[in-house]
Amino acid sequence: MTNFKPRGFYFKFYSFLPIMVLFISVLNEFDLNYLKLKYFSFNFPFILIFFFTLKDFKNFDYLLVFLAGLVNDTVVGLPLGISSLSYILICIATSYLRNITIRPNPIKDWFYFLLVIGLINSINYSILTLFFSYDLLLLSYLVNIFFTFILYMFFAYLFKYYLKGLND
Amino acid sequence: MASSRDDFIIAIRSAFLKKSTQQKFSLLTLVFISIFIIVLSSFDLKFIRYLKAGISEVVYRSSFIVSIPENFLKNTFFEIREYSTFFQNYKINKEELNELKSKSISDKITQFENEELKELINDYTLSSDKLLAKIIVDHDSPYLKSIIINKGSKDNIKIGTNIYDRSYLVGRVVEVNYKTSRVLLLSDLNSNVPVTIAPQNIQAIITGTGENYGEIKYTREGISNLNLEDSIVYTSGTGAIFKSGTPIGRVVAVTGSSNRFKVDFYSDFSQLKYIFAELVTKTEVKNEDQQVEIENSQINNTADTKLQILEDEKKIIEQTNLKFKDENELLKIKINNLNKQIVDFRNEVYDQKQIIAQYNIDLDEIEFLRLNLKFGHTCRKSFLNNDGFEVGTSEYKSCVMNKGQAND
Repeated sequence: MTNFKPRGFYFKFYSFLPIMVLFISVLNEFDLNYLKLKYFSFNFPFILIFFFTLKDFKNFDYLLVFLAGLVNDTVVGLPLGISSLSYILICIATSYLRNITIRPNPIKDWFYFLLVIGLINSINYSILTLFFSYDLLLLSYLVNIFFTFILYMFFAYLFKYYLKGLND
Repeated sequence: MASSRDDFIIAIRSAFLKKSTQQKFSLLTLVFISIFIIVLSSFDLKFIRYLKAGISEVVYRSSFIVSIPENFLKNTFFEIREYSTFFQNYKINKEELNELKSKSISDKITQFENEELKELINDYTLSSDKLLAKIIVDHDSPYLKSIIINKGSKDNIKIGTNIYDRSYLVGRVVEVNYKTSRVLLLSDLNSNVPVTIAPQNIQAIITGTGENYGEIKYTREGISNLNLEDSIVYTSGTGAIFKSGTPIGRVVAVTGSSNRFKVDFYSDFSQLKYIFAELVTKTEVKNEDQQVEIENSQINNTADTKLQILEDEKKIIEQTNLKFKDENELLKIKINNLNKQIVDFRNEVYDQKQIIAQYNIDLDEIEFLRLNLKFGHTCRKSFLNNDGFEVGTSEYKSCVMNKGQAND
């Protein structure tokens, strides 16, 4: 495993990597949509935010998550504040889970994640259709929720490696 | 029971209000700020527009920079794929080019005629400049289909500006910033375009489906009985949102459904790199007759002007109708004459065939008579020639035709 000098540049860079990846992913819309797979899309920021806020990662500032939401809205073309609200609701859900959990279990976290993204996407869909009269495909949302849920474990595995590297 | 409810309330309160040492805001504050921003963004206030435009400018440029590595990989992949089919495409393109060259001339003539007629019908002409713009962000969201271009209000782009890929319509501008704009693509679910389906001349509306094709909606009943396959779809100009006569795509029937048709767009929205934004300027056309009338009457009544225009329009339509009727009559006469000529020619051909047949028979007879003179005595039955045949029989004839030798 790579060794970092504490307080060195590389250590700082490494410890701020998740928040940087979050900003890159919202600016870049990293979701492999250009592969043109008809029924494939996932929400990478949801996975990232859920994982790192659940772990109470110290460099994952809620304000920065909020700002990432604003950036995402601007890039995607949604009304400002929608994604910020979604991201902050994930933070609240993970904070609640942290408070009530004594012994963390990855499988329970995984299904809790499904519940959270289902709820947040429902709120998102309702706001956009009811208050902003957007025409949206419900199927796209369902596909997105499904693949985000499926890919959570894969990314969680990668993120655990990252955290291990940081702790070592 | 009461203690579990207390635990729940404590956990919720803690989740909303507790701040870690690193956090500057509680989550409840951020939720309120988000809701406040959503409410504000639903109002079309001036300072919010400016704020949004400012944020968009920075975010779009940042997004463009961040996307460079991914775009590089994506483009490399597409280029490699293009090279593999390069020669085949070259052949197809060559054929298409030849066809298009021949069509181009007649199209130009039609365009000139069209412009002339438009000048006559309207009291203004639309002159348009096409502005080349680069696409800086084209993230293919599963929900919304839009692109960001590097031209904005600085370059006279306005909300509603039509966007083209070559001469095909791809969408219209829905958000304008100082140096960038967002274009809503035709494939977006929220896109509706009034169109004409040719050659059937059916008015309809095409809506986006979220996929790379559109769907024909709000058309007249009985469309399922018509064969719309391969019909051309172009903008009708109804509602004055899109310029009329711009090609969009080709109609394709949806398999398994007789009354649903989809439209394959001519342009591939996922492959757009540069597009054209049409900057339209209206110029008043002063008709000589109208000018004289205006000078004489000095009445600047808009209702009268509109009536005048409508009357002129009616006159033009009547004249055009008369012209079409005359042309129709002429064509009918021509068709009748041609039909008559065809019948005459057929009769002539029949007579000539008869003559040729008679000539062939006569030729055979002459040949028989000639040979009869020469070989008749060898074939004729006589006292000295017991092997001969009776004159007039078929055996005699065949003997003469075989030059005096009897058939075995």
